[in-house]
Amino acid sequence: MRKYLLKRLLQIVITLYIYLTLIFIILQAQPGDITDLYIMNPKIPPEAREAIKHQLGLDKPLFFQYLQYLKNISTGNLGISFSLYPRPVWDIIKERLPRTVVLFLVAYIIYFYLGFQLGKIIAWKRGGFIEYSSTVVGVFLWTVFTPWWGLLLIYIFAFKLGWFPIGKFIDPMIWRNFDISSNYVFNMILLVGGAATLFIFLTYVTARRFVPRRTAKLATLGSLLLSLGVIGWLLGTTTVGYLAMDILHHMILPVFTLTTIGFGGYMLLMRDSMLETIREDYVMAAKAKGLPDKAVRDKHAARNALLPIVTSFILALATVVDGGIITETIFSWPGIGLTMLSAILEEDLPLAIGALVFTGVFLLFAHLVADILYAYLDPRIKYG
Amino acid sequence: MEAARVRYEPLWKVRLRLWWRSFLTNWELFRESKIGPIGLGIIIFFGLLAIVYPILMATVWDPAIYDPVTGYDWEVPMHPSPPSTKHLLGTDPWGRDVFAQLTYSTRAEFFLGVFAAFITVFIGTLVGSISAYYGGFVDTFFMRLADVVMLFPMLAFLIVLSAMMDLNLYSLAVVIGIIGGFGGITIILKSQALSVKVKPYIEAAKVAGGSHFHIIVTHIIPNVLPLSFLYMMFNVTGAIFTEAVLSFFGLLNIQMSWGIMVEMANISGYLIGENVTRYWWLFWPASLSITLLCSAFYLVGRGIDEIVNPRLRKR
Amino acid sequence: MALLDVQNLTMHYTTKKGDVQAVDDVSFSLEQGEALGLVGESGCGKTSVAICLLKLLPDNARILGGHIYFKGQDLVPLPEGEMRKVRWKGISMIFQAAMNSLNPVHRVGDQIVEAILTHEQISEEAARERVVELFKLVGLDPERMNHYPHEYSGGMKQRAIIAMALACNPDIIIADEPTTALDVIVQDKILHEMDAIRKKLNMGMIYISHDIAVIAEVSDKIGVMYAGKLVEFADTVTIFKRPVHPYTYALMHAFPSIKGEKRELQSLPGEPPDLLNPPSGCRFHPRCPYATPQCEREEPRWEELEPGHFVACWNPLK
Repeated sequence: MRKYLLKRLLQIVITLYIYLTLIFIILQAQPGDITDLYIMNPKIPPEAREAIKHQLGLDKPLFFQYLQYLKNISTGNLGISFSLYPRPVWDIIKERLPRTVVLFLVAYIIYFYLGFQLGKIIAWKRGGFIEYSSTVVGVFLWTVFTPWWGLLLIYIFAFKLGWFPIGKFIDPMIWRNFDISSNYVFNMILLVGGAATLFIFLTYVTARRFVPRRTAKLATLGSLLLSLGVIGWLLGTTTVGYLAMDILHHMILPVFTLTTIGFGGYMLLMRDSMLETIREDYVMAAKAKGLPDKAVRDKHAARNALLPIVTSFILALATVVDGGIITETIFSWPGIGLTMLSAILEEDLPLAIGALVFTGVFLLFAHLVADILYAYLDPRIKYG
Repeated sequence: MEAARVRYEPLWKVRLRLWWRSFLTNWELFRESKIGPIGLGIIIFFGLLAIVYPILMATVWDPAIYDPVTGYDWEVPMHPSPPSTKHLLGTDPWGRDVFAQLTYSTRAEFFLGVFAAFITVFIGTLVGSISAYYGGFVDTFFMRLADVVMLFPMLAFLIVLSAMMDLNLYSLAVVIGIIGGFGGITIILKSQALSVKVKPYIEAAKVAGGSHFHIIVTHIIPNVLPLSFLYMMFNVTGAIFTEAVLSFFGLLNIQMSWGIMVEMANISGYLIGENVTRYWWLFWPASLSITLLCSAFYLVGRGIDEIVNPRLRKR
Repeated sequence: MALLDVQNLTMHYTTKKGDVQAVDDVSFSLEQGEALGLVGESGCGKTSVAICLLKLLPDNARILGGHIYFKGQDLVPLPEGEMRKVRWKGISMIFQAAMNSLNPVHRVGDQIVEAILTHEQISEEAARERVVELFKLVGLDPERMNHYPHEYSGGMKQRAIIAMALACNPDIIIADEPTTALDVIVQDKILHEMDAIRKKLNMGMIYISHDIAVIAEVSDKIGVMYAGKLVEFADTVTIFKRPVHPYTYALMHAFPSIKGEKRELQSLPGEPPDLLNPPSGCRFHPRCPYATPQCEREEPRWEELEPGHFVACWNPLK
C-alpha cells in the first residue's frame, strides 16, 4: 500500500508540474508581454510597473522567466490583482478558497453517497419501469443546462416559497452585529467537520481491529451520533455557530444544485457497475448461502461494484469543479470559481491565473485524498 | 470432369452485404434499448428544426423582421413580446424573433458539437492505436498526458483561455476537440486497440510484411472505430454544453447561439425573480433545447453502448 | 423415506429465441450418507438440476413441473423466505470454478462466519471457533482465516470453499465440477479428502461432472444425463459393468482401459442437440446406432429394469 501511495503522490506532483507549465505556455502565447496589460490599467503607477516587470523576470530570457514563474508560484507569490489593486492575488485566493472548499466537499459527499445508493438500488431491481425512468431522469439531470436549472430552483424555493435566500453566502444584516469575519467561520466549519469525520473514521478503524464486527458497527454509529450531537450543540449555543447556521442556510440551494447536476451520471455509472458485478460467481454464492436479499446486494454486489466507480469518481472531480464554477456564478457565491470568472471579465489576468493555478492544485489534492480512499477500499491494494 | 462453377462476386459487393447485415442486427439491438431511439428521435427533431430556418427565410419570412441578429419588428409595440402567430416564440428585448434565433442556432450547435467531437475522436483513436501498437515510451507518455488532461477542469481552463484568445465557433470547437482528444478517451481506445493487437492475425500480418502504418490503419483502427463512434456521442454532449455555458458567461465571440440567447436575457435583467416565468420565452426554449440536444446524444450513446458492450445487454 | 426425492423435475429457460428445455422430467433419489454422481456432456442439464435444487434460478428460468422432496418437504412451491432457510443449512453447494465464489473484498473467515450466523443463533466468537474447526478439517491453517482470497493459492481456495459448504452441517452437498479447475494431482487429493469427510459426517453428496472417471471413484450411484433428460440411473458398479442405455455404453467405451486389451476408441458421431428444438421422441435417437422408428416417434418411458436400475430406452442393451 505504501508503494502504491508513493507512486500516486509522485504522479500527482508530475501532473501538477505539467499543469503549471501548460499555463505558463498559454501565458506566453499572448501577444505582447504581460506588462502591456498593466499599462492599460490606469490604477497602476509606472514605478510599480517596472517593479513587476523585474519581479516576473520579464527582462530576462524565456527560460529564466519560466524558472521565475515556478519559483513565484511555489512561494505563493502570484502577483498583484489588477481589479482589486493593490491586494495581492494570494491574499484574495486565501480568502475565497475556503468558501469553495466547503461547498465542494459537502456537494461531493452527498453526490457520491446518493449516486451510490440509488444506482445500487435501481440495478438490483432489474428491468421495468424503474430502470427506464431512472435512466431518463439521470440523463436529464446530467445534461440539464445548469443556469436554467439553478435559476429555476431559485425561483421556486427562494423566490416563490421563500425558504432559502436568493444568492450570496451570508446575510450582511446578521453579520453586522458581530466582529467575526466570514472566513473565520468557514474555517471553523471545515475544522469541526474535518475533526468529526476523522473521529468517526478512527473509531471505525480501531473498533474493527479489536472488537467483533457487530460491536464495531455499533461503536461507529455511536461516534457518529456523538459527533452530530456536539455539532448540534455548537451550532445552537455559540455565536460562531449562529453565524455558521446562516452560512449553512445559504449553502443549501447551491449544494442542491451542484449535487443534482452531477449525480445523474454517477448513478448511471454505479448502476452499470452493479449490473456487471451481479453476474459474478460470488454474488450467486452469497445467495446460495441463504443470505437475505439486502445483504447480498449491499455486502457483496455493491461493495465490489464500488471499486471501478471510485476511479471514475476520482476523475469526476474535475467535472464537479467545473459545475461548481457555474453554480457559484448563479448563486453569487464568492468562491474561487466566481473569482476566476469575474477576473476574466475584468481582464485581471494575475488574479485569473492565480485562481486557475489554485483550482488545479486543489483538484490534485482532492485526487490524492481520493486515491488514498481507494487504496483503503480495495484489499488487493491494501494487502497486495 | 467438369470444373465446378464458382459464382464470382466482386469483393466490394460481399463486404457491402455483410456490412448491411450487421448494420441491421445492430439496428435491432439499438431499437430494443428503448432509450437509443428516443435520443435519435430528438436529434432528428432538431435536425428538422435546423432545416426549417433556411426554408422559412427563403419563403415566408421577411429578413428585415426575422433575421436573428439584425431583425426588428416595428409593428409590435413592446419588446420583448410574448408568443403570437407572427412570432411563434415571441421576440427578445431587441425586437428579434426568438424562434428564428432558435432555429438559426440549431445549425451552429450541431456543427460545433459534431466537429469538436470528431476532432476528439480522431485524435483519440490515433493516439490510442499508436500507444497500443508501439507500447514502451510512446505509450507511457501518452497515458501520462491523458492523466493530466483528464484532471483538467476543462471549463476553468477555457474560461481563462477565452481572455487570451478570441474564441468563435470554429476555434472553440478546435480547442475543445484537441484538449479532449488527448484525455481519457485515449486510455479507453488504447485498451480496445490492445485487445486487437494481441490477436494472431496481427502477427500474421507482420510476418507477411505489412508495414506498421498499414497494420494500424487496416487492422487496428477498424476494430477500435465502433468504440470511437460511441464516445463521439458523449463528446458531442460535452461540447454543446461547454459552448452554452461559455456563451452564457459572455466569453465567446459568437453572434448567435442558444447560450447567447440565455446570456442576452440575463444581462438585460429578464432572468431575475418573477421574470423567470413571466418572460419565459426568452429563457426556457433555449435552455431546454440545450438540455434536450445534449441528452439526445447521450441517450444515443447509451443505446450504442448496449450494442458495443454486450455485458449490459439483457439476454 | 429418502433424504432427497426428485420427481419429474422440469425446468426451462426463456430466451429471445425461444424456450430452452434444460431439464426435462428428471427423477432420482438420494439416501442419507449416499453419494450420487450426475454425469453428462456439457450442456446436458446437470448444472441446471443443481440450480433447481437450491432454487437459484436466474430471472429467465422457471420450474415448470415436478417435485423436489427434501426430508419430506416439497421445495418447488416453497416461497423464497422459507427457501432461504433451506439453503446452505439443508443443502449447500460447491460451485464450478470455485475460486470465484469467494468475494475478493472480504476476509475468507468472515465469509464463512457470515453463512453460519445467517442460519444459527450463536455468538460471533462461537462461529469463529467453528470456522477454526472447519479449517482444520479441510487441511487449512486456521491462522489464514483473516486473510483475503487473493492471498490464497488455487488449491487453498478450493479447500476454503469446501469448508464454507460444510459450515452449517448440511444434509447434502452438491459439488459442481469440483475438480475441473485444478491440476490432476491436486484433483485426486481433494476428491478423496472430500469423500473421507463425507463418510465421516455421513452426509449426502451429489457430484456433477462431465468426467465419468472422476465421478466413478467417489459415487455410490450414478445418473447419466443427456440433453436435459436422465437416461440411466443405477449404482456405480452396474453402470460400469452392465450399462443398458446406448449412450452410457458409449461413454464407458470412450476411454481406454489400462488392464483390458487394446481396442479402438469409439466416439459418438454427431453433436449434442440444440435444447431449443430437441429431437422428437428419444432425444438421443439421431446419434444412436440402435435407433428404431419408434425411438423417433415416442419418448421412452423411465422404467426400473431391475431393482435400483432405471433406464429410458426402447431398446436397452442386454
